[in-house]
Amino acid sequence: MILLYGSQQDYDVLSGRASDRPAMSAEQIAAMHRHMETFHQALAESGELVDARGLSEPVHARRVQVREGAPVVTDGPYPETQEVLAGYTIVECASFDRATEIAAGLVDPDAPGGYVDVRPVLDGVEDLAG
Amino acid sequence: MPETPAEDLLRELAPQVLGALVRRYGHFDTAEDAVQEALIAAADGWPRDGVPENPRAWLITVASRRLTDLLRREQARMRREDTVARWVLPEQWRAPAADRPPADADDTLILLFLCCHPALSAASQIALTLRAVGGLSTAEVARAFLVPEATMTRRISRGKQRIRDSGLRFAPPTGPERADRLAAALHVLYLIFTEGYARTAGPGLLRADLTAEAIRLTRLLHRLLPEDPEVTGLLALMLLTDARAPARIGPHGELVPMAEQDRSRWRADQIAEGVELITGALPRGVVGAYQVQAAIAAVHDEAPSAAATDWAQITALYEVLLTMSDNPVVALNHAVAVAMSRGAPAGLALLADLADDPRLADDPRLPAARAHLWELEGERVAAREAYRMAAARSTNLAQQRYLNARAERLAGDPPPAG
Repeated sequence: MILLYGSQQDYDVLSGRASDRPAMSAEQIAAMHRHMETFHQALAESGELVDARGLSEPVHARRVQVREGAPVVTDGPYPETQEVLAGYTIVECASFDRATEIAAGLVDPDAPGGYVDVRPVLDGVEDLAG
Repeated sequence: MPETPAEDLLRELAPQVLGALVRRYGHFDTAEDAVQEALIAAADGWPRDGVPENPRAWLITVASRRLTDLLRREQARMRREDTVARWVLPEQWRAPAADRPPADADDTLILLFLCCHPALSAASQIALTLRAVGGLSTAEVARAFLVPEATMTRRISRGKQRIRDSGLRFAPPTGPERADRLAAALHVLYLIFTEGYARTAGPGLLRADLTAEAIRLTRLLHRLLPEDPEVTGLLALMLLTDARAPARIGPHGELVPMAEQDRSRWRADQIAEGVELITGALPRGVVGAYQVQAAIAAVHDEAPSAAATDWAQITALYEVLLTMSDNPVVALNHAVAVAMSRGAPAGLALLADLADDPRLADDPRLPAARAHLWELEGERVAAREAYRMAAARSTNLAQQRYLNARAERLAGDPPPAG
């Protein structure tokens, strides 16, 4: 599974909300969509794509905790600087190295310090039991 | 989706062949497998050897043989497992009852009703309809809904399993049940259409094909039931809505609201066909919700510009629609139409009545409508705040970008008075 990260600020830039960073232009958004689409189409055609989803911005998230036996639901997290999971792509491919190679295609080369994580998915509870 | 004449022909014949097999032998799930195999054989052989003289009969013969094999194998397995229930293979070429020679059209219709049975979940109804009536492969249905093929295979087999377990007969429903089943079928077709239409903006352009498929299937249903005004209404609604598709998306994939669309890019032939259909259906008696929505779409499509729209007529049509359903979105659209025909304050007053409706509490549409009307009234600060609230409630990036851009446009200095 390839994990993609983003902060609330990244979403603001995408959605054109006023923030201290300039909003992305329609051209830039279209180019990003084109890249993601071509990228996933290629994986679908090679038969390596299992699933890919984007998550909505963190302000729509709800945090669920249990305190004294009762569930407590709060809005957020609201991480202005901290990065949260923004989306994922699951691939089924020949090796961990191939997955790593695929993951590199999801790193924005124009964002210094940008990264994604790749982690193997366990098949079932047996894998955890060892 | 089909590209060659042979593929077109196969997709047209698929529901007829499946319907004929299920009528003769029952066993929807096994029959479906047999028909898929016959279709594959045809897709493989016909381009090479030519299309047989009677392609439908050819497919029925091949699929019947395959079905007999499959049922025999099943029977053998059951004998091996020492099943108590004894299962007699249906007579291979039993003729239908002499007093009711079933038309092919009936088979397709019954097949559609079977796929849209209320015992199935909406997701299963859609998947089965696209597969059995639309003739799409499981892979195509999966791709259209952007789910893995394995997920769609499970969804389709669950649907078929439920049909088998419920012991549904392959017979046309009668009386009130028929009306319910037709309503369910229309709803499924409508859902297939909206799935394609709402997705046109995002990535995953493959779903745009779903609008074409929904229109094709509704056309098919309209050919089978030309006298039904709601079937006609739904087909008209789809044509009139889809006619605007070329102008809905800007050069960079952004949504363009109807008021700002380049109307010369709307599809004139679809508008003409939709208007003719709805004009013919409306005087024919019972007026249902699809006909009223189609009538509203027709008024929009026929207006030369947003300003020249007959808002009084649209308001009146929404009032008819309000008597048919308790839907807050209809009430919201009605308020906007009132604002356009009688002035923004009248519309804002109606919107205020909707503020307490819990069904709209998280919906971006209410603040977005308010923002538009306040902007019309020149209330820039209130409009800007409402646009921002609507953007914050929306989870759709294209919509957020549109709403935030409207808010930003109001953030600068107001234009000089006068």
